[in-house]
Amino acid sequence: MTRPDLKQALGRLLGPAEPEIGCDECFEQLDRYVELELAGGDTDAAFPGFRAHLTACPACREEHESLRALVGGEQVL
Amino acid sequence: MEVLQEQSREWLRGLRERDEEWIARLHALLLRAARFEVARRRPTLSHLRGNELEEIALEAADDALMSVLARLDSFRGESRFTTWAYKFALLEAAVKLRKRAWQGREVPLEPESWSLFASEELSPEAELEQSELLQALQAGISEALTPHQRRVLVALALNGIPIDVLADRLGTTRGALYKTLHDARRKLRQHLSEEGVSIDAA
Repeated sequence: MTRPDLKQALGRLLGPAEPEIGCDECFEQLDRYVELELAGGDTDAAFPGFRAHLTACPACREEHESLRALVGGEQVL
Repeated sequence: MEVLQEQSREWLRGLRERDEEWIARLHALLLRAARFEVARRRPTLSHLRGNELEEIALEAADDALMSVLARLDSFRGESRFTTWAYKFALLEAAVKLRKRAWQGREVPLEPESWSLFASEELSPEAELEQSELLQALQAGISEALTPHQRRVLVALALNGIPIDVLADRLGTTRGALYKTLHDARRKLRQHLSEEGVSIDAA
């Protein structure tokens, strides 16, 4: 076990130090966040607390990754 | 942009009228998203057969269709309609797959993984610092949190139970559980700060 593992475990226990939104708000904003992200826009300014929530919530992180991959893949086609 | 907005308006018009053709198109779109999610998770679902995965994708698309139709008025045209609709299918599929992966498994609510914090190859000073941090964390979890906060924090953050699975077992919602987790984390940080323990010791 190395220190990065301990840091990760602590991160899971304590969550982000900065303010974050909750799962319901995250789902509500997800489509707009992903479109702005794929367009290269400033998502942190437009959606405060969204990125902090993704670091702290594995389920929302997975759903964000899926929507980004699905919509991003369609844009490439 | 104008073209995309027009496409979204067409979707809304067709679906508000409950036009069968538009509803079938929406179902096909949601099924594509649900299958996409199933395919992404397939490597972790080796115990499920192909037809079971297809059933899950179909159920997710059916449930997402109901959610989308019930929430049409909340679509404000700030993203493409298709992006907005996709998220419902991805959520339904992800939740079903997480629940299926934990079906029949015990959901541990007590700490079973304090060993996560045991580090090797540390200097004696670092080891002491880390053991103080560990003690302060354990004390914070048992003293500063309510029993419900403790169970939720331990299950989600220590034992890695997916939030939807825990919400299901405890008869609550994901949003409510996350609020509990957030409050527990805030209290634990406060406890460590009052004890003068630096989390940089990690």
